[in-house]
Amino acid sequence: MRRAAAIVLFLLAYSPDVIASVANNDQESVNDQESVIDVMGKVSNHDYFELPWTKVYLPRIVLSEGEWFYYSSTKSAIDSGEFITEDDVLVRANGSEITLDMSITSHLIYVWMGLILTFIITFFAGKKYKSGNGRTSEPKGALLNMFEVLFVFIRDDIAKEFIPHDKYEKFVPYLFTIFMAIAFMNLFGLLPWAAAATANITVTATFALITFALTQINGSKDHWKHVFLFPGVPAWSRIILTPVEVLGLFTKPFALAIRLFANMLSGKIMIVSILGLIFVFTDLFGAYVGVGSGVFWVLLTAALYFLKVLVALIQAYVFTLLSAVFIGMAAEEHHHEHDETTVAHAQDVQS
Amino acid sequence: MGFLAAGIGAGIIAIGAGIGIGMIGKGATESIARQPEAAGDIRGAMLLTAVFIEGVALIGAIVCLILALGIGQ
Repeated sequence: MRRAAAIVLFLLAYSPDVIASVANNDQESVNDQESVIDVMGKVSNHDYFELPWTKVYLPRIVLSEGEWFYYSSTKSAIDSGEFITEDDVLVRANGSEITLDMSITSHLIYVWMGLILTFIITFFAGKKYKSGNGRTSEPKGALLNMFEVLFVFIRDDIAKEFIPHDKYEKFVPYLFTIFMAIAFMNLFGLLPWAAAATANITVTATFALITFALTQINGSKDHWKHVFLFPGVPAWSRIILTPVEVLGLFTKPFALAIRLFANMLSGKIMIVSILGLIFVFTDLFGAYVGVGSGVFWVLLTAALYFLKVLVALIQAYVFTLLSAVFIGMAAEEHHHEHDETTVAHAQDVQS
Repeated sequence: MGFLAAGIGAGIIAIGAGIGIGMIGKGATESIARQPEAAGDIRGAMLLTAVFIEGVALIGAIVCLILALGIGQ
């Protein structure tokens, strides 16, 4: 309670400055109502890597007319005279087209950070298991215990449950990697200055493509039979069924990519929008109402942050789960096409 | 016009997804109450079904976002 009071006092101590600056900018804010808050800028890809105290500009690597151009930042690319910016997009000054833009962007840095963290954790855990800790004895140390909890969770609750028992083992590494990487990338999005790399459709689409490729490569004969020659239906109805099934192959990874992307995007947009309400209220009702209601919006944002921690982990879990479900569905082999129900019933009775 | 369409669309999405997820929650809580020892399995199945509805709702949300931001105009 005392701490809450201290926080409120702290906020109020800051308000005179805010009110003064708002009063000074009152005429300006009427003039340029266009540039309020850049909501999309918080989630979109940038050519700089933001840190709390500074911005680190990232290198630009561009292929144009069969020639590679390397610059340490966008600014040096413009200074060289070869490039100009149009609506924040880099284009050639002489009008020729850019074939390939391999520039390193902020989201790419976060993808790398997620993958490197995953690698470090698994590498050290693997080293410890090799030395006998955890194999011959119980796992010792907080890190190894946490690793084992997560790994066993992925293996038993996801892989073993949805992928046929004779095949699940080779998919566990992939499922664990994708779970950890997505969880790290999602959690990076919770840092106020950082961005979730998974709020970028290209990142999630890449992950979904890997799952799609794994699904099709490991598809059993029955999987392809189900797609092209659906068993047990009249021949003429296959004219409709086959296109639908083929379409279904592609909608699965598509939905997988969109789900993760939209979840992470909407979370950040929501938080920035709610914080932006402070400025909306300031514009509508004056500085005192704006700052006063700010206390409420900040508390709401704090509550949303807890929700976002949950969503970040649940979405990583859901992506892994659905990957396992799709792989399992394709890898499954139907030995008992004719009496599936009786077999299922027999299994129920046995267990 | 884009803002109007996005607002109406988002509302309809919320109705649809709300009904869907509400029905899943109803089914899950009822079956857990009937058979508490199967709570773990039911929870897993509930999450899996809710996720499919969420996916459809989010595709709609993305369309609304595209409309509201005026991408492609």
